[in-house]
Amino acid sequence: MIEIRNLVKRYGSLIALDHLNLTIQEGEVFGLLGPNGSGKTTAINCMLAHLKYDKGEITIMGKPMRPDSYEVKKNIGVVMQNVAVFEQMTVRENIDYFCGLYKRDKVERKRLVEEAIEFVELGNYTKMRPGKLSGGLLRRLNIACGIVHRPRLIILDEPTVAVDPQSRNKILEGILELNRQGSTVIYTSHYMEEVEYICSRIAIIDHGRVLASGTKEELKNMIKTGETITIEAIVLDQVHLREIRSLPHVFDVSYEEQILQIRCGKAKHNLVRVLNYLQGKDIVFGKVFSELPTLNDVFLEITGKALRD
Amino acid sequence: MGHLIKYRMLQTIRKKSQMFWALAFPIILGTFFYISFGSGEMGEDMEAVPTALVIQDKDSDTAKAFTEYMDRLDGSAVQITYMTDEEAEKALRQDKVEGIFYCTEEPALTVAGSGISQSILKSLLDSYCKNASMIMSVAREHPQGLSAAAEAMEDWQEMTESFSVKGRTMDSNISYFFALIAYACLSGAFLGAQSSVDSQADISALGARRSVTPTHKIQLILTDMLVLFFIHFCNVGILTGYIRFGLGIRLGGDVCAILLTICMGSMIGISIGMVLGCIRRLSFGGKMGMCVCFTLIPGFLAGLMFGQMKDVIEHHCPLVNRLNPAAVLSDAFYCIGVYDNPERLMRNLLILGMMSAVAVLAAWLLVRRECYDSI
Repeated sequence: MIEIRNLVKRYGSLIALDHLNLTIQEGEVFGLLGPNGSGKTTAINCMLAHLKYDKGEITIMGKPMRPDSYEVKKNIGVVMQNVAVFEQMTVRENIDYFCGLYKRDKVERKRLVEEAIEFVELGNYTKMRPGKLSGGLLRRLNIACGIVHRPRLIILDEPTVAVDPQSRNKILEGILELNRQGSTVIYTSHYMEEVEYICSRIAIIDHGRVLASGTKEELKNMIKTGETITIEAIVLDQVHLREIRSLPHVFDVSYEEQILQIRCGKAKHNLVRVLNYLQGKDIVFGKVFSELPTLNDVFLEITGKALRD
Repeated sequence: MGHLIKYRMLQTIRKKSQMFWALAFPIILGTFFYISFGSGEMGEDMEAVPTALVIQDKDSDTAKAFTEYMDRLDGSAVQITYMTDEEAEKALRQDKVEGIFYCTEEPALTVAGSGISQSILKSLLDSYCKNASMIMSVAREHPQGLSAAAEAMEDWQEMTESFSVKGRTMDSNISYFFALIAYACLSGAFLGAQSSVDSQADISALGARRSVTPTHKIQLILTDMLVLFFIHFCNVGILTGYIRFGLGIRLGGDVCAILLTICMGSMIGISIGMVLGCIRRLSFGGKMGMCVCFTLIPGFLAGLMFGQMKDVIEHHCPLVNRLNPAAVLSDAFYCIGVYDNPERLMRNLLILGMMSAVAVLAAWLLVRRECYDSI
């Protein structure tokens, strides 16, 4: 569906995209995960032919993507990070307007508008103007305007910024539904939970480069961490910490403000070993958590910093 | 295309802040002008000058003749009141009369000041004395022609005739209203700037979304321009109609020429606004500020706030008046509405046409960009 090869974009001496390579298959939900300033939005803007780039090729649906690629644009829907609707028009008018930029037939347009309104559950708000809507509803309107014409490819650039949890869940469920209906989705975010939840394939990007890509499982298999154990309200000294570090399959230990965090490799019974040690030393502790590796762990191991840094 | 036109009209008309600057503000300003200047027409009816008449020599033929002369003028040029000497002097001191005519062998006039009223009284006296002298001269030298001379004096004809110059106005305050209409034309910049912001991907999310659609950008731009020209042309038309029929200010002249001038002025205003809207480094508030400058400064230089400003600039730096769209518009309205100068009107229309073409071309070239160096 989309092929990006050796994409380079510079702003003076700053390299925003550094030989970016991406392949996105039809029918998948592809996540572009990275911290702020990593180049996600720049990549999207290059894909949409908004931004000039210094080097590289972008093809969408087998055709080079240029500003005048109107045939390709017919099949693309975009949901911007910033809400892009007309303040002076009602919900229905906004959706109808943007649908009209894709579809000429009035009957078809009317049907699509009704379906879009139903899809984002804005049926009770059709006569309201964007200024009267809450943040979550506004985001839903934003999405409706981007997908009303049933595009084959939907690009969502951080669509859940500043959205309440309930609306966020609705948005994510909606995206999955769109994918089930046949659309390919590109989803960019710096919230790993969202990307983990909806994306079938993910590319982790930083400083304009793809650091790693694959399914969630493939990404997690790339790293050493098999399990992260967190123990709260525990008092330890340096001797204890050294001994914990020397336990089998433990490769990283951090201790701060009475919270112990242990990263273990991909082995069984890591938690049992740690707890046995603590019991053997009569060390008192509070809550215990054990987590499988997250994308944040993947990012941390690859880049040396957390996703939110 | 109908879809685009419909929604662009809705968006524009419902944007109250911009419609205020483009429509309501000029109307409010025009109303204030009217309150300040009124209709200000020249040639108002002059009131009769209150005058005292003192008959000092009842038996004198000259006095009788002068009395008769003054009686004929009573109610039109002068308002005569017969008084005694003391009464007349008292009335003059109290400003109840503007002057005192003395009916004696040689009629005389006493006034207490020097103004239009006193000048009128003096000219009446001079006219009488001249005519009297002429009659006496005819009587002395050509007595046979005396009756003919007297008849000729009786049959006084107007030597001047006023005629309508195709409905043109002589109102000296009309320059303010012409400058106001010119200012209103340029205030289309507010609409143009908003349209630019809504269509540029590097300036607004709306612009980015519209740029990704399969609707040709040329079609989007063309629709925007046409709708805005039409709306703003209507705005200025409403203002002009309000000035003419609401305030009763006669603008004079050829309706078609006025409409053509307004059309070109609207094009200039909208197009310059679109150019200003494309300035990436300015915030939206900054762009609106630029629009305010673009409308008020040329308006000021065209005489919007100080009626003689255009003349002052014409004396010191006439090039500014040729390049200032508000001054050119105002001058075009003057040619249509006040004095008949076809060459000057054609020159102004030509300049306006060139300005329109340049402004529209500049706006077109800037707004049609689809790919940017940075967003």
